[in-house]
Amino acid sequence: MAIEVIFNIILGLFIVFYLYQAMQLPNIDDTVDILGASGFPQIIGVLALMVLLFITINTIKENKSVQLSLFNLKLPEGRLLLVNICLLASYIVLLSILGFAVSTTLYLFIAPTSFGYSKWRLLTVFSIVGALVLVSVFGSVFYVPLPRGIGLFRELSYLVY
Amino acid sequence: MDIILQSIEVVFNPLTLSLIVIGTLFGIICGSLPGLSSSMAIILCLPFTYSMDPIPAIVLLVTVYLGGATGGSISAILLKTPGTPEAIATTFDGYPMAQNGMAGKALGLAVTASAFGAIFSAFIMLLAAPLLASAALSFQSAEYFGLGLIGLGCITSIGARNQMKAILAVLIGLMISTIGIDSINGMERFSFGQPFLLNGINYISVMIGAFAIAEVYKNIERYYQRDTNLRTKGKISMTLMKFSDMAKMWDTFLKGSILGTLIGIIPAAGGSIASLIAYGEASGRHKDEKPSFGDGNPRGIIAPESSNNAAIGGSMVPTMVLGIPGSPVAAVIMASFLIIGLTPGPLLIREQPILLNAIFLAMIASALLLFIGGRFVTSQFAHILKLPYPLLGTFIVALGLVGAYSLNNSFYDVFVMFIFSLVGYFFDKFNYSTAALILGLILGDLIENSLRRQIIVGEGSLMGFVSRPLALAIIVVAIITFIWPAISKLLNSKGS
Repeated sequence: MAIEVIFNIILGLFIVFYLYQAMQLPNIDDTVDILGASGFPQIIGVLALMVLLFITINTIKENKSVQLSLFNLKLPEGRLLLVNICLLASYIVLLSILGFAVSTTLYLFIAPTSFGYSKWRLLTVFSIVGALVLVSVFGSVFYVPLPRGIGLFRELSYLVY
Repeated sequence: MDIILQSIEVVFNPLTLSLIVIGTLFGIICGSLPGLSSSMAIILCLPFTYSMDPIPAIVLLVTVYLGGATGGSISAILLKTPGTPEAIATTFDGYPMAQNGMAGKALGLAVTASAFGAIFSAFIMLLAAPLLASAALSFQSAEYFGLGLIGLGCITSIGARNQMKAILAVLIGLMISTIGIDSINGMERFSFGQPFLLNGINYISVMIGAFAIAEVYKNIERYYQRDTNLRTKGKISMTLMKFSDMAKMWDTFLKGSILGTLIGIIPAAGGSIASLIAYGEASGRHKDEKPSFGDGNPRGIIAPESSNNAAIGGSMVPTMVLGIPGSPVAAVIMASFLIIGLTPGPLLIREQPILLNAIFLAMIASALLLFIGGRFVTSQFAHILKLPYPLLGTFIVALGLVGAYSLNNSFYDVFVMFIFSLVGYFFDKFNYSTAALILGLILGDLIENSLRRQIIVGEGSLMGFVSRPLALAIIVVAIITFIWPAISKLLNSKGS
């Protein structure tokens, strides 16, 4: 229960912040647009706060426990999930440095190993072919300007897409 | 009769027929890849049409549109990642069906419903295009507002496990939809001086994060329990619906197609809104059926798929007859009319009587081809799904990432996808409906803007919502959609 109440508090803070920002929006003195830019956000913000309050009271009354393995690093699945979230975050950061082709190949190679996957030959083929397919389809066929990275990686990317 | 015969001659010649095949297949492939929308596929085809005659050129573009709308359902069902916005509602029941080992059946339902919707709207358009086009012009802000409310009515079914949490999720979706420039008075809202927030938050990247990536997180959690391969059980190949099964659900096919055609005709409404409204209608009407909506009910695939394809035929009517695009993709097709040297409008139908008939005949041919194209693309996707989960999961993440990036060629959309992957994970854990969040995000603009526009038109008065009979009828239907579950619960408890 406690963890859900904390989640609800975070949601509540988000809604209060949203409402505060909505109230800060300048009011244009318009007699026909009576809602203005801030009216609709304020209405839904207040409604959301009321509904959240109701949900939180119910959560406390029901007193159910929720298992979140992400916060329980003693569990192997908790560790696996956290590692994969961190890997995804690193992949996104590396895109602008190494470019799409290199960072995708690396990600497709490293992420499965976090599961304990160890068929290295298949993994190597998968990461190279997988990245190549994505680069060819999106970069070459559909002309999506995929990230090229910086420096040498940028120069190299021009050879591929 | 002479015109119809001439249209048949134009459409069923080898060149046009091969363009129909190419267009349909290309559309399905693009539609099935997240991030590549139907409009992008049409734009990619546009250069090839410059040297073509008008009819083959337009036929190619329309069949790409049709193929794209159907292709979106393939990744929606198999990967929980809608390939196109029109396939969002298909995810709600398509993916649970695939998880229950019925991926082939779900794909068959999607393709059959898509073909039915497309053929239905083509026939209606052939018979009543000019009449319907002028009727669509009577739609004003109050009616659009009512349509948005009906769309929101979906939450009563997709959030069936916890209605209050579904309502909160939809409200949060509505809140997110207000980020960016206010389209009524141009004021910046919640952008904090960041240029990337001025255009608002793209719901496709939210969807990829909250649906597809969050699903990967969920499967990673279950990896040690070895139940992540549910969807790869058995051979995945499209199973076509039997006629007897179709007959049992004729009402959903028909209502989805009618709703799709009508909503498609309304300027700027489009297939995604049509599919959500059709889903809402079907889920409200058949809410007591097992499996329930959100858990893999076949009607949850038939309704959105028949309506989003029917909306294509519908959207072509105002585009051609009035020169007003019926959907964002129809706007791209309208631009291609101008490039080819045709001016959409009332004169077009008079000067090019064969064109309208040829387009709708091509739609019928393309709808029949969906079965072959769908089977081909599905078989390619099936190869991916046979991978062991460590490989499949990482490939879905990479595909989702490139899909989010391709929307605007921007890292910002990738960042949004990442944030919402975590939001989707926590929402799932605490039983909040991610689908309701997306619903609020999609319909937010339509609801707020039409509400405010109507108030402005009414010079500050709300009477416009009740004084217009059509608007009043739509709003009453929307209110009934919202409160019906509570009323029927009350009646059931009294009865028992």
